[in-house]
Amino acid sequence: MSDWKIDEMCELIKQMRHVVEELKEKSGPIQAVERNLDRILANIKMLELNVSDVKELI
Amino acid sequence: MLNDPSSYWNPILETLPQEKLQALQLKKFKRIAEWAYNNSPFYRRLYQEEGLEPEDIKDFEDIQKVPKIEKGMMREVQRRDPFPYGDMMTVPLERVTAFRQTSGTTGTPVYQADTWQDWEWWSESWCYILYAQGYRDTDRVFIPFGYNIFVAFWAGHYAAEKLGCEVVPGGVLDTQSRILKMQELKCNAFMATPTYVLGMADTAINKLGIDPVKDLNIQKITCAGEPGASIPTTKKRMEDAWGAKVYDHIGATEIGAWSYECTEQPGGLHVNEGFFLVEIEDIETGEIITEPGREGKMIITALDRMAKPCIRFDSKDVIRWADHQCDCGRTFRLIDGGVVGRSDDITKVKGVLLAPTAIEEVVRSIPELGDEYEVVVSKKRDIDDILLKIEVLPGKEAEQESILFRLKDQLRVKTNLGYKIEVHPYGSLPRYEVKAKRFKDLRKNGG
Repeated sequence: MSDWKIDEMCELIKQMRHVVEELKEKSGPIQAVERNLDRILANIKMLELNVSDVKELI
Repeated sequence: MLNDPSSYWNPILETLPQEKLQALQLKKFKRIAEWAYNNSPFYRRLYQEEGLEPEDIKDFEDIQKVPKIEKGMMREVQRRDPFPYGDMMTVPLERVTAFRQTSGTTGTPVYQADTWQDWEWWSESWCYILYAQGYRDTDRVFIPFGYNIFVAFWAGHYAAEKLGCEVVPGGVLDTQSRILKMQELKCNAFMATPTYVLGMADTAINKLGIDPVKDLNIQKITCAGEPGASIPTTKKRMEDAWGAKVYDHIGATEIGAWSYECTEQPGGLHVNEGFFLVEIEDIETGEIITEPGREGKMIITALDRMAKPCIRFDSKDVIRWADHQCDCGRTFRLIDGGVVGRSDDITKVKGVLLAPTAIEEVVRSIPELGDEYEVVVSKKRDIDDILLKIEVLPGKEAEQESILFRLKDQLRVKTNLGYKIEVHPYGSLPRYEVKAKRFKDLRKNGG
């Protein structure tokens, strides 16, 4: 269990969310960007469920 | 015992010690309750009527004070806006990307809305199932499922893709075409209801002259929709018919895919305690059962399902905690023998409590009997009558007297009831592709 770099993983997941949300703000009316970002955000949420939510318990 | 981390879909969650899992569940329960309270008019009403605020939930005992929901409430709420889901919803309709509905076996179907995130969550839940059952990116997986309004194997399909499997969608092909395609492509896994697993084997042998054990390449089968894969005699029939390992999983449209059997086949199913909170409630007293071996009905919360939350849902499924841990190393607790019945299915016949699964276990334990059977309960002059229709396998007709003797004897031992038995020609009882309807209680219709 100690081999997992949970803190670093969580930080990178957080950064990914930040980047995607920033890009979403800048995408304006471009559906091809916004809809793909929605899908990426859904996957980031799965990373949060699988890793970030557990961080404080490890 | 912790195995190699690569043997788990998510070793972080699946090997988390129980006390930490419970801390995670409490944290997530508070989060979903607060989300529902703030965004769903239905949940806000429900909680306000009980004088409950989300911040009142501080520990596990507080969770037990949160009102339960039932299927009837889900149906009722559908009369409200937004159409067609009702105000249990927490997000605007623009964010809904998929409609599914329950099968309607027990009444009006419940409509389920999923956003793309919720759908990702569905397939993520299924990834836990398939990975634990040995699915990997080298597998070619056939899905003999009529892709439609029922969630069934949709999530299994998406999860298998996510795992890197090559997925062959069996869609509208008929049973024979599906078998031939599985043979042509050398598929090594498939997913189906237990009824259809047995039905396909029967079709392969009797219509196509194909022996699934020798002529096909199936190594693992994932079952859903019916309890058969957790009934030892039915599981054995399926494994013998295909020469493959058969694994169970349990899920529901309004809940999600909440439990799974792993390759250890430990006689029970793991509850995905990272994504779901399962409570077992004594049917008579309402007390929460924590000790192994004692049956009760399941109250379940999907901890991360957002658009139409499922919080403390009284599923009516009867389950019990197992008294052992699994050798696979997962810390997710086991429920012993899967779902052992339904609190609204268990019926009294001649004053005796009868679970339909007990009849299936007996019928499938007698090798000379076909896979299909039907039970009809009726009332004749105020006396309950129970009729069991069966098929004897071709070539075994001469042994009928001995077969019926063993059948009646085992039924009496396992269910404490006497039955009228009708032997029907092989192949004449109804065959099903999805959920079978083998138990008919005509007393409910005055019959």
